[in-house]
Amino acid sequence: MQSHRFGCLSATGIITAILTLTLILSFSLTQGGVLFSPGQLNAEKGEQAWGGVRSHAEISGDCAACHAHPWGRERMEDRCIACHINIAEELQSTESLHSVLFIENTTFTCKDCHPDHRGANAKLTLLDLNRFPHQATGFSLNAHQKMSNGEPFSCEDCHDKDITKFDVNTCEECHRDIDQVFTQAHQETFSKECLACHDGVDIYNDFDHNLLSFPLEGEHASITCSKCHLEDSSIEKLQATPRECYACHQEDDEHNGEFGESCAVCHTPRDWEDVTFDHSISGFPLEGKHTDLDCEDCHIDEVYEGTASACVDCHLEDDEHKGEFGVACEQCHTSTNWEDVTFDHALSNFPLDGAHITVACQDCHIDQVYQGTKTECAACHEDPAYHVGLFSADCITCHITNAWSPATYNEPHTFPLRHESSSSISCRTCHDVSFNIYTCYGCHEHTPSNIASEHREEGISNYEDCMECHPDGQEHDD
Amino acid sequence: MKFNNSELWFSFFAVLLLTLVYVFVVISTGSIPAAGEFFGHSLGVAGFLLMLMTETLYTLRKRSRSARWGRMSTWLKFHIFTGLVGPYMVLLHSSWKFNGLAGIVMLLTVIIVGSGFIGRYIYTAIPRTVDGAAIASFELEGQIAKSEADLQRLINTRTSAMNALPQNLIATNNTQHSTFFLIFGYVFYEWEQRWLWWKQKNNVDKSLRPLISQLEKMFRQRRLLRRQVASLALTRQLLSIWHAVHVPIGVSLFTAAFVHIVAAIYYATLLR
Repeated sequence: MQSHRFGCLSATGIITAILTLTLILSFSLTQGGVLFSPGQLNAEKGEQAWGGVRSHAEISGDCAACHAHPWGRERMEDRCIACHINIAEELQSTESLHSVLFIENTTFTCKDCHPDHRGANAKLTLLDLNRFPHQATGFSLNAHQKMSNGEPFSCEDCHDKDITKFDVNTCEECHRDIDQVFTQAHQETFSKECLACHDGVDIYNDFDHNLLSFPLEGEHASITCSKCHLEDSSIEKLQATPRECYACHQEDDEHNGEFGESCAVCHTPRDWEDVTFDHSISGFPLEGKHTDLDCEDCHIDEVYEGTASACVDCHLEDDEHKGEFGVACEQCHTSTNWEDVTFDHALSNFPLDGAHITVACQDCHIDQVYQGTKTECAACHEDPAYHVGLFSADCITCHITNAWSPATYNEPHTFPLRHESSSSISCRTCHDVSFNIYTCYGCHEHTPSNIASEHREEGISNYEDCMECHPDGQEHDD
Repeated sequence: MKFNNSELWFSFFAVLLLTLVYVFVVISTGSIPAAGEFFGHSLGVAGFLLMLMTETLYTLRKRSRSARWGRMSTWLKFHIFTGLVGPYMVLLHSSWKFNGLAGIVMLLTVIIVGSGFIGRYIYTAIPRTVDGAAIASFELEGQIAKSEADLQRLINTRTSAMNALPQNLIATNNTQHSTFFLIFGYVFYEWEQRWLWWKQKNNVDKSLRPLISQLEKMFRQRRLLRRQVASLALTRQLLSIWHAVHVPIGVSLFTAAFVHIVAAIYYATLLR
């Protein structure tokens, strides 16, 4: 009959399980944790005993000597330095290698660099370059992941046997294999103290000066480093390299310093001839026709300093006004065209208003003579026959500039203009032909027939000169 | 019962795939994956789970009489697949270090796999139905009688073919060998017989070859049945002995493996 129990639950299975557990337990009790050890501990004896032993192998089986219990506050690192008191002392100093490593990396542990259980003769120091914070030593391994032959770096490749020491000649040995010409030239320029400038972050193959605050453009891109970095052999000196143009180009200055030391205001690194001066930053911004000129049209013999900026300095011969308007051409003209005149007549002693605004310049300024143009009305306007000889030449007393008419007369009048309660009266009412003669006909009820009739009733036959008898416009009985 | 080797092929490809992945990881990291790191640890966990399935699932199926859980032969194939791939993953997990309890567990794993191969060989020597149920001795005798009758009928109607065959080929009786040979050395005897039949087929006229092939098949069937009848008692005895050895090794393996897992969690994870 077939059994329905699991094989492991049979008597044989249970006995075997108990036997196996007993064997493991017995071995553990007699030999400690050796059975669970992932590998033999290092057996190399040190020069000095730490924690009472000279090798880790002497404490094989005593797991708790190094491994802290999970329920305690202690960590493995605490147990390490409990024995290795020299390291504990090192950690008190902020400048020791160990303290630098732990200060920079709080998650770093002793076993990250000093793994064990790798065999009796295995090295106790094995740096995982992917984990070891090498930058904490002042030199990052960012640029040193693989050697020139493609193999990954090991500590010995740079440090030989003692990882705490470094020979700067090691840099040269490797980098000569990569590029001998460059390495030699580079060291001749900057010395062999590579670590004075290089912190391992940069990869010299990918070094890009353009990422710095002084990008290399134009001709600067092709010159050797030493042209600017003269005997600079430290990062501080490199960074202190002057950036001013004149620091390198003083001897190249054909202007002999007359334009100052900021070459970049006019020149670019592409070519000295490639001048891109922004004239607008000068005291004479170029506009209109001036932008089409060549520099030497104004700056004779390439003399730029002290170039006169008054119009007449260049345009004296162009002055059609023969100097009569002075030297301030810009008051009337613009730089776009001589014909493009924009004179503001209000600035003159005869501001234009009224009908004068629409008058062509030459109507007043005959033969384009502007200087000394008379401003009296009579200079242009003849006394009309209507009141010739009656008034002064000061037309503005009665007229305005908009039109001759209407005009206002406010001077004393021999005949009262406001008689018979009239408000205002047009001059033409009485002076229909000329101001020299007058008529009363047409005013009020004065018609030739009724005036003749009324005066004949009174026996007056000489009534042609009304003002003789009615100087105030009133009717008189006597 | 016909027993093809598909599970071995599946196992082979799984092992090949795992090897390629392992080699890729070794090349890309430049080192052997440590047992405690992600990849090595994953291999160990997955391998152990497969081994646990090997140990439990097939045993459970054997103890279930219901056919709804699938054929026994299918479960045996899965048992063999997990029993090969799981230990291989555990082997890769070891990072080729065999010290301490982990080394003992690995050693027991290798032993249990080797033992499994032997068990499978003995197991297949016992005649079974398609569902994997063992056939009783009297049933086997009935099958032999039927096979003999079929063969005799064919011989009587195809005398020309029979005359073309040498007597030593027809009269061969495999049961003359020892029972131990019938179990462990039978494969060599069978290869020899097939070789002789193949040579004979090439010597006769082409028109007789299909008939000779049919006869070869019937003779092969007779040989198999006779071998099984002759070795059945010893085979069952051997299977029982094997079982008595295999199970304790397995129990010891898993006991040690569980202790290893607990120790790994404690020492490698919890200890600081």
